Amino acid sequence: MPEIKIVIIQPHQIKLERTCDQVVVPGVDGDFGILPGHTAFITKIRPGVLKVFDETEMTNYAIHDGFVTVESDVVKIVCDVIEEEAEIDVDRAQDAKLRAEKRLQGEKSDVDFRRAEFALKRAITRLEIKQ
Amino acid sequence: MANIRDIKNRIESVRSTRQITKAMKMVAASKLRKAQENIVKARPYADSINEMLQTLKLKNRETEHPLLAEGHPEGKRALVVVTADRGLSGAFNFTINRATADYLEQHPKTDVICLGRKGAEFIKKHHGTPIKSFVGLFNEMDFSISKDVASYLLELFLNEGYVSIDVIYNEFKSAIQQDVRAKQLLPIIPVKSEHISTLEFIYEPDAETIIEELGTKYINVEIWRIMLESSASEQGARMTAMDSATDNAEELIGTLTLHYNRARQAAITTEIIEISSGADAINN
Repeated sequence: MPEIKIVIIQPHQIKLERTCDQVVVPGVDGDFGILPGHTAFITKIRPGVLKVFDETEMTNYAIHDGFVTVESDVVKIVCDVIEEEAEIDVDRAQDAKLRAEKRLQGEKSDVDFRRAEFALKRAITRLEIKQ
Repeated sequence: MANIRDIKNRIESVRSTRQITKAMKMVAASKLRKAQENIVKARPYADSINEMLQTLKLKNRETEHPLLAEGHPEGKRALVVVTADRGLSGAFNFTINRATADYLEQHPKTDVICLGRKGAEFIKKHHGTPIKSFVGLFNEMDFSISKDVASYLLELFLNEGYVSIDVIYNEFKSAIQQDVRAKQLLPIIPVKSEHISTLEFIYEPDAETIIEELGTKYINVEIWRIMLESSASEQGARMTAMDSATDNAEELIGTLTLHYNRARQAAITTEIIEISSGADAINN
C-alpha cells in the first residue's frame, strides 16, 4: 500500500518523522486531507486539529500556526507550537480560555485584541482534542 | 614582619579570585554546550523556511513584496547591535562595539536597536540613546523572546518607513574563535539553497499572503539563530577568557609563594643572627 511521509519541524526539534496513510490538516481555507499522490501544494495553517492516520489508529495534534507543504508524497509541516493529545493540560487550557475571553471584552488596542483572540483559539483547539 | 603577612593576604585573595574564575569557566562551558545544541536543533526549521521562501521567490518574480525587495534604495536605515548582557568575556563585546562605531561612522544617520546591555551602554555613551534596547534576553533563551524582537523589527520596517535594517553580531566558529558579522536583515535575502523545488505549487490562499507569512517566520528564525550564535560565542569567549585568567592566577600564586618563602627564610635568618650575637655578647 502506498504511503506518505510526514515531517513536523519546530524551532527547537523535529517533532515527528514517519510514514502514515493519510493526513488531515487544518488549512486557512478549510481542512484538507492528503493521500498518496497529492499535487504539490503550499498553505498556511489555522489553529485546529491535525490528524495523522495509520492503518488502525489515528493520532490527534493541536496545531496553532505554521505552514504545510506537500511535495512528492512528503508532507512537511513547519510550525512553532504543536502538541500531542497527552501533552495537553486541560486545566491550563480552561484557565487560558477564561482569561482570553475576559480580555477580549475589555480590550481596546488592536494588537492586544489580536493576541487575546489567538490565545482563545489556541485554548479552544486544545480543549477540542481532549473531548 | 608586616611584609610576610601582606604577601600571605595577597596569596589568599588571588586564590579566591582563581576559584571564581574557575567556576565561571565551568559555568560558561556548560552553557556553551547547551547553546551549541540549540544551534544544531534550530537548523532543520531554519532550512525549511529558507527553502520555501527561496522556492516562492523564484516562482513569483513578478510579485514585488516589500519584504523581498531587491536593490539598495536610499532612505532611513536601522542597525541591530547584538552584544552580551554581561562583561568578563574577553574581547567579545569590544569587537562588536568597534564594528558598530565603524558602521555608524559610514552611516551617521542610522537608528540603533540594541540586544544586550553592553551594547546599549556603549551606544548611549557614544552615539545617543538607541531607539529601542532589549536587555536580559540571554538568561532564558526562548523562541518566544526572539519572536517579540522580530515583530518589533517587522513593524519598524513595514510601517515606519525604514528602507533597510542591518545587523551586527558575533558568529560562532569555535570556543576560541568568534567572527564579527555584519549583514542585511531586511529586506530578506534568502540564503542559496540546493533543495529548491521545481514543481508547480498550488497556493492557498495566494502566493502573496504566503510570502508575507513566510517572511515573518523567516525573520523570527533569523533573529533566533543570531541570538543563539551570539550567545554561544559569548559563552565561548568567556570560557577562554576565564581559562587564561585561571592560568594567570596560578602563575601569580606560584611567584607570590616563592616571595613568601624567601621572606620567611630571611626573617628566620635574622632571628638566628640576633640570638647568636646576643649569646656572643654574654660570653664575651
